[in-house]
Amino acid sequence: MDVFLQTLVAGVLKGGLYALIGIGMTLIMGVMGIINLAHGQLMMVAMYITYILHVAGVDPYISLFVAMPALFLLGCVIQRYLLNPLLKVETILPENQVLMTVGIGMVLTEVVRFIFKSDYKSVSTDYSNATFFLGNISFSVALTISFLIAIAFTVAMFFFLIKTDIGRSIRATAQDKDAAVLMGVNTGRITIVTFGLGSALVAAAGSLLAPVFYVFPDIGGPFTARAFIITILGGLGSTVGAIFGGVTLGLAESFGATYISMDYENIIGMTIFVLVLLFLPGGFKRLTKV
Amino acid sequence: MVFALVLSMLLINAAEAANIKVGIVLPLTGEQAKFGEIEKRSFQMAAEEINAKGGVNGNKLELLFEDDTGKPDVGRSAVEKLISREKVPVLTGAYSSSVTAAITAVAQQFKVPFLVTTGSADEVTEKKYDYVFRINPPASEYPSAVISFLQDVVKPRTAVILFENSLFGQSSSKSFEADCNKMGIKVLTKEGYNKGAVDFKPLLTKVKAQNPDLVYMVSYVMDAALLMRQAKELNFNPKVYIGGGAGFTLPEFQKNAGPAAEYVYSATLWVESVPYPGAMDYFKRYRAKYKEDTEYHGAEAYASLYVVADALKRAKSITPKDVRDALAATNMMTAFGPVKFVSYGKKTQQNKLPTFMVQWQKGSLETVWPKEVAKKKYVFPVPEWSKRK
Amino acid sequence: MKKNLVPLIVLAVLAVFPLVVEDNYYRHLMIMFLMWVVIGSAWNLIAGYTGQVSFGDAAFFGSGAYAAGLLSHHLQLSAWWGLAIGGFVAVAVGMPFGWICFRMRGAYFALATLALNEVLRHSAAIAEGFTGGMVGILIMPTFVSKIPYYYVALALAVASMLSIQWIVHSKPGYYFVSIREDQDAAESLGIDTHFYKMLSLAVAAFWTGVAGSLYMNYMGFIDPDVVFSLHDISIMAILVGIVGGVGTVYGPAVGAFIMVTVQEFFRSGFFGLFDFLGRATGSAAVESMAKTITGAHVLGFGILVVVVILVLPNGIVGDWPKIRNVFARNKIAA
Repeated sequence: MDVFLQTLVAGVLKGGLYALIGIGMTLIMGVMGIINLAHGQLMMVAMYITYILHVAGVDPYISLFVAMPALFLLGCVIQRYLLNPLLKVETILPENQVLMTVGIGMVLTEVVRFIFKSDYKSVSTDYSNATFFLGNISFSVALTISFLIAIAFTVAMFFFLIKTDIGRSIRATAQDKDAAVLMGVNTGRITIVTFGLGSALVAAAGSLLAPVFYVFPDIGGPFTARAFIITILGGLGSTVGAIFGGVTLGLAESFGATYISMDYENIIGMTIFVLVLLFLPGGFKRLTKV
Repeated sequence: MVFALVLSMLLINAAEAANIKVGIVLPLTGEQAKFGEIEKRSFQMAAEEINAKGGVNGNKLELLFEDDTGKPDVGRSAVEKLISREKVPVLTGAYSSSVTAAITAVAQQFKVPFLVTTGSADEVTEKKYDYVFRINPPASEYPSAVISFLQDVVKPRTAVILFENSLFGQSSSKSFEADCNKMGIKVLTKEGYNKGAVDFKPLLTKVKAQNPDLVYMVSYVMDAALLMRQAKELNFNPKVYIGGGAGFTLPEFQKNAGPAAEYVYSATLWVESVPYPGAMDYFKRYRAKYKEDTEYHGAEAYASLYVVADALKRAKSITPKDVRDALAATNMMTAFGPVKFVSYGKKTQQNKLPTFMVQWQKGSLETVWPKEVAKKKYVFPVPEWSKRK
Repeated sequence: MKKNLVPLIVLAVLAVFPLVVEDNYYRHLMIMFLMWVVIGSAWNLIAGYTGQVSFGDAAFFGSGAYAAGLLSHHLQLSAWWGLAIGGFVAVAVGMPFGWICFRMRGAYFALATLALNEVLRHSAAIAEGFTGGMVGILIMPTFVSKIPYYYVALALAVASMLSIQWIVHSKPGYYFVSIREDQDAAESLGIDTHFYKMLSLAVAAFWTGVAGSLYMNYMGFIDPDVVFSLHDISIMAILVGIVGGVGTVYGPAVGAFIMVTVQEFFRSGFFGLFDFLGRATGSAAVESMAKTITGAHVLGFGILVVVVILVLPNGIVGDWPKIRNVFARNKIAA
């Protein structure tokens, strides 16, 4: 029973972090239809920002407030100068933008490698190793906090999209770009803001992950993969879906590791991805309509 | 201007005419660049020392580095360039096993002797290639010191083996399982994981429930740190944690794992305190020169060039064939240990080396086994996590 | 005849190349170039003509390579049999996937192929008993000389280009393009779009698999990370396709040539230019710059991706009129 509960706890906590990574992706994919294969690399950049600040003595939870705006700007710049121009060039393949994000991911990774070398860095804090026990079940303090923050961000995002003007414009752009233009929405600017927001959210995930993980130029890739699995699972553009998607993936990986074998961790994610495409195209969003 | 350039080119060539070229393939960029860099510097250090002492029979060694970027096909084309354009009489270097494997076939085909520095997959010296030599022990022999330690000190009855799904992880975990069976240790679980995993808790929870005496892990540095941290978080107390080389001896491991690194044992090929002449010297000079610490990969590279230089000195002529014959007759002492290429089992022209065990004690890595070379006494039994300060 | 003049001259040059150039290093690069012609042409068929962008070419490439490698590993057959069956193995791997993915439009196919490749890569790594796991498969190459490999690669490159050219100029080829341009319109004309997409995928997978088998034979070594690599195979295939020209017959050949050259160019520090300058001038600044630049070769590659997509989204052959215009305008201005 302990094994089961511990697995459950591990999966849910990890899922919270995944959700935060997924929300950024789902916004970007849902609103602009852009598959951002540089998503994990953006998170990696945020982790390096957290690392630099950590060396300067700043706590990762505080560097959250530096990493998020920094990545917001970076995201805006990428969308404005690299992705938006693609809409204007005439091309046979619409997937050029996917490849563009791959290129951006490579550039980000290599620039970071250029500066920091292929060295492993740690952001170790007092709470990196801290745990508390409920019964026999161990909870990582850092992951529990990051889980709560992830939930808070999701809720905030949800209300932001529903209640604010920008949020409404984003949703309008997502639903029907042409109609949004007719309604007076500056869709060009909205796409820029959205990409910035998506980047800021994944930056938050990076800052929260840094103390419990490690920092390395190449860690982006696997998280990009997870982010798009979560997005497909949750449904494009659905913040609530991203939470469900993140936790589902976290649980699937955990239970897979405990009851099948950790060997299959990555295959499990990909299998879920294919199954969702087959049996539930549209993801959880189709079930919940949120 | 162009003329001047051509002229200077000719002059340089003329000046270099007496040099003996040594081709070295290393990952200088990409994920493995860190170790490629350590090895490159160590090669350079060795070359400077050898050249300062008169080089090889009066001729200077000239190192030609090529970047394999960690990819076998790139490594292959780099080696071909070294062989067909630079006409190098001897090759050394190669870090990752996959690149090494790809290069050995080329060296064998073109009949250019190749001294493998690092690539540790057992297969590399199991192909009966007579132009391939290896200074580094194969992955399966890394834990030889661990075995005697287990038999003499820990005497475990059950074990769990966790390994990274990499060439090194797969091949050394397999041979360790065989060793366990020989020693009568029951292997409860042997499970792989993919590098870069975020959360080992489910895996650790599962093996904790099996209550093993020994947890043996073949992990690279950051996975190793996460494994130990999360084992501590779960309050998982086997008699000992032993790392099978690779990541557990690096300073980054201790930095990331913090208190969770304490008392963890690891197998290792080399530490600066080994009783070989020049080992400590090399370590100190490296630190003085580059302001960074070196580790066993660097020592391998440093020793490799000495072996190559020694063979070049003894070779009847500087042709690949004669250099190969000279390498085959190598019998010398280096900072990395005694070097002699022998054939045994399926392996040919493989250097055999004893290995060591180290333990993290109060944040520093101490050699604790075998007893003859131990600098500190091993800490065993290891206190439980919850009973530590 | 005039239309075919340039390709025929190029072919003639390629046919005598290894006899004239004795440097094995250049022969090796040319073999890589010819292999990439095969892969690029295949990618171009499914993506460029049919509009279904594959991000998982490595899945087919790796299947073909493993087909050849496993034959030799388990059955002690010559890995050259892989050339015969590798392509079909790749088709067998691709078909069920295409069947699933082609029900979805747009980027889903791209993502699904990416996922397929990941699944295969991990499976090949885990199935130690069958594939040798991460230890990979090492065989002794059959020939010492590069010339046989060169001509096999040349034959495959020509065969793949001719077969693909033949297909795109026959009825299915027109259906492919109509699917790319407007799938709904194609369907309303009664074209079985699902079938034709599958057909296109099958041909593409076949040739990519054959290229994989060639790689196994030539390199003598494969492991899961090498042949199922997202960056080195899948993305490279896309770049070869895009740089040369999407939906053009000769585009992939041009793209393969450029990409192989560029990759080597960056890796070798502009063919040793900077190294040479550093040594020639003896200046530490130049030397450290040389080191910096060679160290950043993947960065250069990444920047190239970004620039190509921004400036030449349809490739050199596809955007040729645009390039010519730029130069023509300059001439007038001068």
